[in-house]
Order: sequence, then structure tokens, then C-alpha cells
Amino acid sequence: MDSKNSACGNPNPNPTLGPSKLMLAFRFLRALSLVHRTTPASSRTCRGRRIERAAYASMAYSAGTGRGWSRAVLRRLHHRARRRAVAPRRLSTTAGNRAEALRQLVPGGAGMDYCTLLEETADYIKCLTMQVELMQGIVDSSSSYGP
Amino acid sequence: MEMNEDRKFGLEKSHGDHLNNHSSGVSADWQFNTPAMSAAPPHPSTAASLVPPLTSSPLLSAPVPEAFVPGLWNYHTMSVGGSNIQNTTSAIGSIPIGRPVAMSSKGMLLSTPPVIFPPSLPHFPADSGFIERAARFSCLSGSSFMDMNLLRPSQSVAPARKASKVVMETQVQNTELSMTGDKAVSLPAAYGSIDQSRMDTQRDRRSSHISNSESQETNFCEGGQEGNVDSSDVAGNSSPSDLGANKRKRTIRDMEKDQVQRGPQSSSEATKDDTETKHKVEQNSSKHGGKNGKDNSEAAKEGYVHVRARRGQATNSHSLAERVRREKISERMKYLQELVPGCSKVTGKAVMLDEIINYVQSLQRQVEFLSMKLSAVNPQLDFSVERLLAKNLRHSHGSPLSIAGFSQEMSYPQVYPSQQGLGHAGGSTMVNLSDTYRRTMNTQLPTMSGYKEPSMQMHNPWNEEIIMQMDYDANHPPNAQEINRKPDGFTI
Repeated sequence: MDSKNSACGNPNPNPTLGPSKLMLAFRFLRALSLVHRTTPASSRTCRGRRIERAAYASMAYSAGTGRGWSRAVLRRLHHRARRRAVAPRRLSTTAGNRAEALRQLVPGGAGMDYCTLLEETADYIKCLTMQVELMQGIVDSSSSYGP
Repeated sequence: MEMNEDRKFGLEKSHGDHLNNHSSGVSADWQFNTPAMSAAPPHPSTAASLVPPLTSSPLLSAPVPEAFVPGLWNYHTMSVGGSNIQNTTSAIGSIPIGRPVAMSSKGMLLSTPPVIFPPSLPHFPADSGFIERAARFSCLSGSSFMDMNLLRPSQSVAPARKASKVVMETQVQNTELSMTGDKAVSLPAAYGSIDQSRMDTQRDRRSSHISNSESQETNFCEGGQEGNVDSSDVAGNSSPSDLGANKRKRTIRDMEKDQVQRGPQSSSEATKDDTETKHKVEQNSSKHGGKNGKDNSEAAKEGYVHVRARRGQATNSHSLAERVRREKISERMKYLQELVPGCSKVTGKAVMLDEIINYVQSLQRQVEFLSMKLSAVNPQLDFSVERLLAKNLRHSHGSPLSIAGFSQEMSYPQVYPSQQGLGHAGGSTMVNLSDTYRRTMNTQLPTMSGYKEPSMQMHNPWNEEIIMQMDYDANHPPNAQEINRKPDGFTI
């Protein structure tokens, strides 16, 4: 699971300009193809989870290590690669405090102060939107070829 | 990330805006830069620059003469804050973030409005060097005393005291003069020449001692601020009058505390006086706030050195740090508000946070949903580089097929609208992509949904479409028609 992204090379060289969309697409498509190649066709859910992990991994790699959330995502991926754990998405409704809820949502938010948390959230949102656009585009382009 | 730029820019912008509305709040603030600056690392250049003048200029004596008028410090702060001369704001605004307080305070003080000096002034010694030192010292009175202390622990107290005393007198005089009710005052002609020479000497001295940043500030001060400098200088030369004893005390105490901490002076006493005078400063500044007629602006300079307290607000270091933190948080909340769609009309941190949380949750759900969808889609990545390059060249400016185009046509299942398409990409990158994909995907049976009869002929256009999707040219409108037409040309 890590190999598909560990061979991506250096992370985003322009962290200040935001994650590179091209690199994101590149990494994600490569990871996607790898997932399709390695997983059996029967395990749809397994493949779906792998794709989701690949999405987060490509996001984190594209964002580079200059961001706290990307580092947390990569940490989580590398540590839990064996256990096949999905990127946890805990519901924030359980947390009464909004800051706590946000900390649960944003990877690596637990160890941040509020100020940094907001900054990381902004960057995380940007990368997430890019990833979602990319994936949606792939889905749309694939479905548009239907007979 | 751009966040840093935005933040810095926002801070600078707000900094400049606040300075434009510069009021005595600023003046009241920089007095307390001393405690705030105690936590800041000393600036060698600034401190070094401050050292020579302080060394040469006499310091205030420990026993503060009771002749100090309570209104002295008041005016000092007010004149600085209530400066009608817009140069203050320009000078302060031009000071980059992170510059030592001394710079800003100096610039501020130098931009104090010129005051009408009564005829009793001329009896002051017109020693240009003395005036210069007094002026510089007055400018630096509220600045990095701590830094100076750190750098010059062995400085003798006496000369510094005397200089500060002169400065206090200057400020007292300024206060008195300004209290006459005249804001826009003009310097008496008698001091015109002296002022000019003072300015020059000051500039020379400054440039010789200080770094480029400081010299820039000096230039700022000089530019159109001659009156202010002169006023401060002349006031310093003016005869000591009973003004603002409390302010004077505070300044003197402050200077004493900062400079003579290692001296025989009791810092505790100075601290106590500082606390007292701080309150008085707040009162006086708020009292004379009306004179300024300017809004309560905050010239909080981002950085570890100086944060100016707002007028009429708590000015201890904790409050200042808290204010800086609050401003940072509010700035980031604004940035998030721009990021999260549909949040422009939302007001309040709580609702905003809820919206942000919902948005992040929805994005994560979208990723999960799309990943499930993509588990059924296997993008064909077998293609020829030549075809790709040819297609790219042909479609570089024609009708690039971008994922954004598709996305924009489709409506997201969620409420949030899709954003702009992907960025631009060079042709060389395409080659890398194709090569990589070729390497990774040697043979791949198409398993795309919707394809009933996958064939090799179908692969190429599909791959090319994939690559073209990555041909980021969001400016061009999506051309779905062409995409649909493409496969038709390769009907099996």
C-alpha cells in the first residue's frame, strides 16, 4: 500500500503555492491503477478502502511535509499499512466542543493549538476539494463513455 | 502555503490600516512595548544603534524631580498618537513586520506634530548635538530599553538619566504646548535651521549606527516629519515645566527600570510606578482621545517584538499577546470563510466553525463515496506517448478536456458547488505521466463501467482522454461534445 506512493519521489516542491494539482492527479491516478491491479475484483469494499487511502496518500504527498495534516496522514498511513486501517473519520457530533470536533476531523489536529488548527483546516480543505474534484472528474469521464 | 502569505499580508495590511487611523492608542501602546519586548530577543543592530546615543546622552537622574507635570506623558502619548501629520502612519506603516520597536517608536515620535513653542523656549541651549541626542533619546524612550540593557549592562546611569530627563522635559513641553489646543502647529522659525541641522546630524548618526532598516525609518521620519522631530527636539531644549508628572515619572521610571536594572535603582519601585503610570496613561490617553479625532486603531505589528495595545484597553503583555492571538484566529477564520462556500453571510465564530466542520465532513464523505465509485472504474493507462503529445499539441489551446470541465457539468451530489478546474501543466509532464503509466500498466484489461466491448482501439482514446483530463487549462471551456465524439470514431 505504501509502495505506490513511496516511489513518488520528493513531495511538493512548492509548499507555499499550495498543493500542485497536476502532481495530485498524477499520484492519484497512478495509485488508482495500482490498486486496481493489485486487488482482486471480488473485494469491492476492500478496493474502495484502498482507493480512499490512496486518495489521502496522494493528497498528503502532494501537499508535502510542510503541513501538519499531511505529515499526520502519512504517519498514519505508514504506521497502519499492515493493519489495513482506513483513514478514520470520527463523527464530530459526539464532541460538544467545536474545536474538538474539528481536531478529530483534521488529521493531526489533536496536537495543535487552535490557531494552527485553523490554518491546517484551511489547507486541508483546499487539498480535499482538489482531491474530490479529481476523483469526480475521473468518475465522470469514465461514466461519460457509457454506451 | 499561501496561508503564510495571506497571513503576513493581512497582518501588514491591517497594520497599515491601523496606522492610517493612528491615534494616541498607538502612543499609549508603545510605552508598554518595554514589557512586551522583554520577551523579545534583543536586536543587535537596533540596540547597537541605541547604545551610542544613549551612551552619549545623559540619562535621567534617579530622583525624579517633582517638577514633572502629570500631563507630560499624557501629551507625549497623545501627541504621538494624535499626530495630525500623516507621516506617522506612513512611517509606521512602512515599517516591515518584525522590526524592533525602537524603530517604530522612533518613527512615531519623530512624527509628532510640531508644536508652537512659547517664547520661553529659546533659553534652552541650542546645542545641536544635545538636541539630537535628546530627540533620539525621546524617540527611543519607549523602545527597546531592555535590549539596550542587555547589550550595555555596564552603562553608567547618570548620563542616561540626564538624557531622559531632557527628553521628559521635551515631552513635557510638547504636552504643554499641545494642550493649548493647537494641533496643527508650525515650528517657530528660530528652530528651523537648527532643526534641519539636527535632522541631518540625526540622519548621519543614525545611518552610521543603524542598519538599513533603521536608516529607512530615518528617511521616513525625515520626509515631511521635520516638524515632529523638531518639536521633540525643541521641547527637549525647552525649559522644564511642570507637566505630566505622572507621565514623566513613568517614562523615567521605565527608562530607569530598563537601563538601570542592574544599577543601584530599585526596579521594584520602577515597576510599581510603571504600573501606576500605565493606568494613568490609559486614562490620559482615553481622555485626550477626543482630540485626536481618530478611531481606535490598533497597530499591532506581528512579530515577537512589539504589539501595540489598543487605546483604552489593557496593555500588559498578556493582553497584548492575547490580542495578537485573537487577531490571528480571526484572520484565519476569515480565510476559512472564503474557502468554505456559502459562508460569506455567516457571522459568528460558532456558526462558522459548524459550517467548517460540516464542510470537512462532507468532503471526506465525498472522498469515500467517490473512492467506492472508482473501485469499479479502472482507468486505462496504456497509451502511446506520440499520440498523447500529438493530441496535447493539437488540443493545447483548442478544446482541452479537463476534469474540471466534466466536473463543472456534472452536479455534485452535495450542495457545495464544484470549484475551478485544475491548473496548467506542461507538455513535458505529460510525457512523464505517460511513461510512468506505461511502465506501471503494461497490460490491462479494461474494466471500465459502461464498456461492453473493450478493445485496444478503445484504449488509446480513453487513455488520451485521461491524459487530456490532466491537461490543465481551466480557462478553456469544457468540450464534452468532443469527448463523446471521440469514442465514436473508434467504434468497434
